[in-house]
Amino acid sequence: MQLVFDNLPFLLKGAGFTLLLTIVSMFFGLIIGLVVAIARLKGNRPIRWLARVYVSIIRGTPLLVQIVIIYYGVVDYGITLGSLTAAYIALSVNAGAYLSETFRGAILSVPKGQLEAAYTTGMTPWQAMRRVVLPQAMRIAIPPMGNTFIGMLKETSLVSVITVSELLRQAQLLIAQYYQYMPFYLAIGVMYWIMSTALSFILERFERRLAKAY
Amino acid sequence: MITTTGLSKHFQDLEVLKNINLEVAARDIVVVLGPSGSGKSTLLRCLNGLEDISGGSFEVNGIRVGAEDSKRARQQATREIRRQSGMVFQQFNLYPHKTALGNVTEGLMTVKKMPKEQAVTIGRKLLDRVGLTDREDYYPSRLSGGQQQRVAIARSLAMEPAVMLFDEPTSALDPELVGEVLSVMRELAQEGMTMLVVSHEMKFAREVATKVVLMAEGNIIEEAAPQHFFEDPRQERTRKFLRQINEI
Ligand SMILES: Nc1ncnc2c1ncn2[C@@H]1O[C@H](COP(=O)(O)OP(=O)(O)O)[C@@H](O)[C@H]1O
Ligand SMILES: [Mg+2]
Repeated sequence: MQLVFDNLPFLLKGAGFTLLLTIVSMFFGLIIGLVVAIARLKGNRPIRWLARVYVSIIRGTPLLVQIVIIYYGVVDYGITLGSLTAAYIALSVNAGAYLSETFRGAILSVPKGQLEAAYTTGMTPWQAMRRVVLPQAMRIAIPPMGNTFIGMLKETSLVSVITVSELLRQAQLLIAQYYQYMPFYLAIGVMYWIMSTALSFILERFERRLAKAY
Repeated sequence: MITTTGLSKHFQDLEVLKNINLEVAARDIVVVLGPSGSGKSTLLRCLNGLEDISGGSFEVNGIRVGAEDSKRARQQATREIRRQSGMVFQQFNLYPHKTALGNVTEGLMTVKKMPKEQAVTIGRKLLDRVGLTDREDYYPSRLSGGQQQRVAIARSLAMEPAVMLFDEPTSALDPELVGEVLSVMRELAQEGMTMLVVSHEMKFAREVATKVVLMAEGNIIEEAAPQHFFEDPRQERTRKFLRQINEI
């Protein structure tokens, strides 16, 4: 126990990185997800196909494999990514694929009459999407988006394999130094749990605020 | 104001509109009657570009759409037509994430690029016109069906249409709420709006229409001034339809 307290700043730094990774990847994942969802619904044939292949590959392969491919794989083509950059890319691209499915479903669940009403007032398809469909779709998408967010927090632990000093990696470094497993693994377990509980609490409040709006 | 020439529409094998020739002059109130499934909604939807036509052509306020036109030309004409005509749906289709006022101002700001203050001024005037001044901050979920439909009418009017299309605007309403919507429509008619109305409100058709049209199986069976249509129909099909209506 004493060991954990002595090294708490080191672990907290890892937890900070975990949060940063989660938030940044989620941010870019949301952008990718939205673009891909719209591409799949509104794009021409090659674009729709491309978007489908992307989603299929990401959903059909383990995140761990995606991470190592992005980190080690591209080196063969003369591109060297820092481990942190590779982590951001892998996590964002992964979240983007899942979120695009969420958004696609949410957009499709907005009744057709909404789009038609917007069209009859003279809106272009893009205006109708932005002003009428997306605001309604976002509300529908918020609960599954929250799940992805919390999932992401836990899955960031996978980038420890490419030496990003997030929470799990920090614990592993301490373990290598002290030859003690349980205290550190237990400690980070508790830290993950606290972070995901806090995050779901915040998301729930956010959801309730939005639900009250109309 | 609206002319259709040999307009036809089919969904795959299903012929829904067959050679429709209809004329709606400026300031006309044309009421379309007909059994369910006769193609009334489809006709209105074609006139607003919500469905592509399969044959013939139509014109709204001088803008022509022909079945033979290129997709691009049709899209362009459709956008112009939508700017000059309003449409009111059976299911209201209000934007649930916007207040009554927000529903009315949305098109002004997004389509007409009007500054917010100006849009709000116009929006309030229109809500006043449909008798909903005190409901501007209400979301649709907190409005009755009749109130929602009146907001929907105000939303259409905001775009200053030359012609209004109504697709069974009172069919989804509880009986006691029908009157408030019809009275807004009567006022519109008195103010000289050109209107094409699909409705089964016979009293409205008798008293307000300049012309009544019966559709059945995708054809126009009969069209006449309301007096003639109701008192002295020429077609047996019309007599049968009126008998059925009166039995209910
Ligand atoms: N999008 C569609 N696809 C296939 N059939 C349709 C579609 N829309 C309408 N129809 C069919 O066209 C016919 C006429 O429908 P509609 O115009 O709604 O009639 P009405 O409004 O007079 O009740 C019906 O048989 C209906 O099932
Ligand atoms: Mg109908």
